Amino acid sequence: MISSRAKFGRIISHGFLVLWSVSVAMLLFWTIVASLKTNKTVFRELWKLPQVLNFGNYLRALSELNFASYSLNSLLIVSTSVVVIIIVSCPAAYALTRMNMRWKNPLTLFYVAGMGIPVQLLFIPLFKILSTISLVDSPIGLAVVFITLSIPFTVFLLTGFFVTIPAEMEESAAIDGCGEFRTFYRIMVPMAGPGIITAIIINFILLWNEYVLALIFITGKTYRTLSLGLYNLYAALQYSSDWVSIFAGSVLVIIPTLIIFILLSERLIAGITAGSIK
Amino acid sequence: MLYLTFFVYPTIEALRISFYKWSGFSKEMEFIGLHNFVRLLRDTSFHAALKNTMLLLLVGGAGIFVLAFLFSFLLNSGIRGKKIYRSIIFFPYIVAPVVHAIYWGLLVYSPRKGILNSLFGLLNIKALEEFAFVAHDHIFGSVLFVVIWINVGFYLIILLAGMDRIPGHLYEAARLEGANEGYIFFKITLPLVREVLTILLVFWGFNAIRMFDLLYAFGGLLPPREIWTNAIYLYIVGFGKRDPIFQLGYATAIGFVTLILIIIFTVLIRRLLRREIYEY
Repeated sequence: MISSRAKFGRIISHGFLVLWSVSVAMLLFWTIVASLKTNKTVFRELWKLPQVLNFGNYLRALSELNFASYSLNSLLIVSTSVVVIIIVSCPAAYALTRMNMRWKNPLTLFYVAGMGIPVQLLFIPLFKILSTISLVDSPIGLAVVFITLSIPFTVFLLTGFFVTIPAEMEESAAIDGCGEFRTFYRIMVPMAGPGIITAIIINFILLWNEYVLALIFITGKTYRTLSLGLYNLYAALQYSSDWVSIFAGSVLVIIPTLIIFILLSERLIAGITAGSIK
Repeated sequence: MLYLTFFVYPTIEALRISFYKWSGFSKEMEFIGLHNFVRLLRDTSFHAALKNTMLLLLVGGAGIFVLAFLFSFLLNSGIRGKKIYRSIIFFPYIVAPVVHAIYWGLLVYSPRKGILNSLFGLLNIKALEEFAFVAHDHIFGSVLFVVIWINVGFYLIILLAGMDRIPGHLYEAARLEGANEGYIFFKITLPLVREVLTILLVFWGFNAIRMFDLLYAFGGLLPPREIWTNAIYLYIVGFGKRDPIFQLGYATAIGFVTLILIIIFTVLIRRLLRREIYEY
């Protein structure tokens, strides 16, 4: 009696989990399928697979709609930003966890508070600052905004990792005559390696997917990022009705995150959980 | 330094602007004191946006946390494929908001020919076959579901990690003494993940109140008023294409109300959940 009830419960749980997973898989499946159809069939034959795989949609998106150069923009801006974010956040996080500064607690709070500020509040002043140093509509300006707005979260995440490294490590390094900077670069950074890798992955994904800041700070066409290009295409839909290009663009945006997910999802999940639970 | 110049200074600057009437193009800013804030009290669009922000925070939050707990319970019941399910449920969280907006807006919710409508048609559920998911009356609910669907995985993985740290012997002892699942959940699991839960709730508060990307993209070129939240309304008043004069002072005042909302929520959660941390 009990075992049959347990069995029934198990089937229900599996059923629910499978249903949810299918809904996730559908996002990928349907977007990819739609990207290979033609504008005529994409909605009329929603439930059918395309008879011919129209890879031409991708070529058109990449060349005519400039998605190739948008991808390059995204890649350059995002990777530069991520590198700088890590270089700036690592010492900050380390200092916040280790140094016996008088201002340690207020400083930590100060950074965490940065996570809670509504980004929209900063749009206007940031725009003002960037236009005075004429960095509006420039990839550097966008990278600067990306970097600053990502620092609070990254510092928060990294402190979670530095806290777990025992203090004896530094003490023995100091006894062996290792200076503070060398201790940091030679010992602490490698020890916090998993955390740094997590921070790199998360920041890359977040900035790759970001389109609102790009929408505000990139006013021209040349320096659009890939997500912004896709957003513009979608927002202009009522004029163009070029559906399949939108789906091809969606697939282009998904590809890097999908690759990261397939290769690194376990590592990413382990890193996020380790960093947020102290 | 960078943080100071591009983060702290703008915040203070924003506070200053919120006391002015300023269009952004001219040098002149007219000091009008608290007038922007008084105007908010009478602005019905702002009231609607505030209501949506609270709905997103509370209903969306309830959906996410109930589902996350449900999933964690199912996955911890010794089911096979725990890691695979967990990864799949997490996946939408790392997909670009624009892509979600396109997929849900064009394929799933699309009226008449969308996946949902035709699915209900196939299942012969007449009431839902013609249901307009993105009509103005329903769009907020539809978006709310997408928000929950996207976010639940993130809260699930952290909740699961928190639960993994609870020593198994506590559960064994409870089962030996004949405790049922509900009792175990409320008396063991919930108290012992309180710390993690606090962090997650605060994190959700931060993200819900300032959520923008998905909602804005969902609305297409001009998001309908029905999905405006504080964050969207701020953007439309400040930058939107609808108003030729950019009301930057007014927009930052909205931002400050939002910031105060976040602070109240954070303090509240911390008060409610602050108790001694259980040693185990």
